Amino acid sequence: MVTKEKEQELIKRLQDAVINYRVDDARKTAEEAIKAGADAYTMTMSGLAGGMEVVSQKFDSHEYFVPETLLCAKALYAALDLLKPHIKARDEGARGQVVLGVMQGDVHDLGKNLIKAIFESAGWTVHDLGRDVPLQKFVDEQLKTDSDIVMLSAMMTTSMVGIKKLIPMIKEKNPKVKIMIGGAPITEKTVEEYGADVTADNAPNALREAMRMLEALRKGRAA
Amino acid sequence: MADQMTSLERVATAMQFKEADRVPAAPLVCGASHRFSGLTYADWSRGTDIDAMVKGHVDALDMIGHDGVVLLIDLSVEAHAFGCEINFPEMGTAHPNYDKPFIGSHKEYTKVKRIDPRKTLRTKSVIELAAGLSKEIGKTHAIVGFVYGSIGVLSMLRGPEAFFMDLMEHPNEVMAAVEVVDEVLMDYTKAQLEAGVHAICYDHLYGSQSILSKPLWEKFEGQSVKKIADYVHKAGALFGFHNCGNGIYFDMSMKYGKPHFISHAYVADDVDSWEENKKKWGKSTTTIGWIPPGPVAMLGTPEEIEEECKAEIEIYAKGGGFILATGCEYGPNAPLRNAKRIVEAAKKYGVYK
Repeated sequence: MVTKEKEQELIKRLQDAVINYRVDDARKTAEEAIKAGADAYTMTMSGLAGGMEVVSQKFDSHEYFVPETLLCAKALYAALDLLKPHIKARDEGARGQVVLGVMQGDVHDLGKNLIKAIFESAGWTVHDLGRDVPLQKFVDEQLKTDSDIVMLSAMMTTSMVGIKKLIPMIKEKNPKVKIMIGGAPITEKTVEEYGADVTADNAPNALREAMRMLEALRKGRAA
Repeated sequence: MADQMTSLERVATAMQFKEADRVPAAPLVCGASHRFSGLTYADWSRGTDIDAMVKGHVDALDMIGHDGVVLLIDLSVEAHAFGCEINFPEMGTAHPNYDKPFIGSHKEYTKVKRIDPRKTLRTKSVIELAAGLSKEIGKTHAIVGFVYGSIGVLSMLRGPEAFFMDLMEHPNEVMAAVEVVDEVLMDYTKAQLEAGVHAICYDHLYGSQSILSKPLWEKFEGQSVKKIADYVHKAGALFGFHNCGNGIYFDMSMKYGKPHFISHAYVADDVDSWEENKKKWGKSTTTIGWIPPGPVAMLGTPEEIEEECKAEIEIYAKGGGFILATGCEYGPNAPLRNAKRIVEAAKKYGVYK
C-alpha cells in the first residue's frame, strides 16, 4: 500500500510523462507504481487520463497538433499496457463501450487512432475494427459486444456513402445504439441525411459527445 | 448572357485580380471525369490509357462547362513512382498498401532514391496526359499540373501516423529523404510544364492547423515549396497551392510560394470568416473554392447548391481573384449534374457588370 503523498507523486509523474510525450518516463513510472502496490485503476484514470485531458485541451487550443498528440498517445500506451493487467474489475460508473472503425474502401485511420487513445485513456472500452472495414463487420461487432455507440470514420466521399447503407443495418438489429460519424467530408447535413446521431470534428469533441450520449442512454434505461 | 471570353482568358483575368466576363468555375472534376472516359475508376487511376483519359477530360468539359482541368489522379501517384505498393479499388480512390509500407522504419528513409518521373509509372502518365490535353484544349482552357508535396509523398511511403512521429523523433532521417523527393518533384514539375500545363498546383496538405504546427511545417516543407515555386515563377507559369485542411497557413504559403492561387476549403488560420479572408488575402492571391464537396456538391439539393454558389460569389467575386470551385476534389462518385449546376450558378450570379 502506498502513502497518499507517494500516490499523488506517481499520478503527477504519469500526467507529466503523457503531456510531455516521454515514453520512457511513462513506462518507468508505471513499473514503479506497480512495484509500490499503487492502485492501477487510480494510476490510469488520474495519471494517464488526467494527462490526456490536458493534451486534449492543448490540441483544442492549437498548442499541440497531430504529431505531438500521437506521441502523447504513444507515452500513454507505454504505461497503460503495463497497468492494464493490474486493474481490478470494479463497477464504479464504468464508461461505455464503442465499436470504432474506418469505412470500407478507406485507409485513413489517423483520426480513428487518436479517438481510440483518448477514449481508452478516459476508461472506455474500445472495440477497434481497424481500417477498410466491411459493413457487416460493424453490425456483428456491435451485436457481439452490445456496445453503446458505433463510431464510423470516412475521409472520402467514396467511402462516406457506405455510411448511409450501414446505419439502417445497425439500427435494424439494435434501434437504441447510437451512431457517431466523422471525417473530412462529414458535416451536420450528412448526419441528418444518413440518419446518424451526431458528428464530431476532432477526438476531444468526440469524447464529449459520447459522454453526452451515454448519459442519455443510461437515463433511458433507468426510466 | 453568353460567355464573352474563352475559359483560359477568364481564368487568366481572374488571376490578375480583374473582373472577367463572369466568375470562372472549376469544380475540380478530376477523378469524376473517368465517367466520361469509358474506363472504370480503377483503370482511370492506373493511368494506362492516356487517350481515354484525355477524351474523358475533354468530354467532361463539354458536358459540364467548367473552365479548367486539374491533373490530379490521386495523391498516391508520386509515392507509386518511388516504389510504393498501391491498391486500386474498383470503386474507390487508389492508395498505398499501408500493411506493407515502403519505408518500414525510421532507418529505411535511405530507401528513397532518385527516380525519373518522365519514365516511371503514373508520373509518366500524368506528363503524357498533360501533353494530350495541351494539344486538345491548351488554347482554350486552363490546364493545371499537380504535384503532391514532399512530406505528403513521404507520409504515403511511410504511413501517415509513423511519419508524423518521425518528424519529431527522427528529423534528420526524414530531412535527408525530403531532399531526394524534392529533386524528383522538381523534375516532375519541369516535365509537366514542358508538356504544356499553364500552372502547377502544389498540394501542401499538412500546412494547416489540421495536422502540423506552423514551425514544424516550415522546417520540413518550406524550402521544398520555395524551390519549386521559384522555378515555376521563373518559367513564366502560374504557381499555386491546394490545401483542404482547416486553418491553412496563408502567411507561410505566401512566404515560400508567392502563389498566384490557393485552392482551399476553409479560411486561413489568421482570419475568422470568408469576408475577412477576402479583405486580408484577396489582393495577394486568388481563392479557388470553397463549395463543400460532401454536403453540398454531393448531397445538396439543386436549391442548396445554387444558394451556396450565390453566397460565395457575393462574398468573394468583386474585383476578380476568385474562381468558384469545390474546396476539395469533386467526389469521383458524386452526381455529375451537380457539377454542371455549379457552372450554371457562376453564369447566373457571377456575371460582372
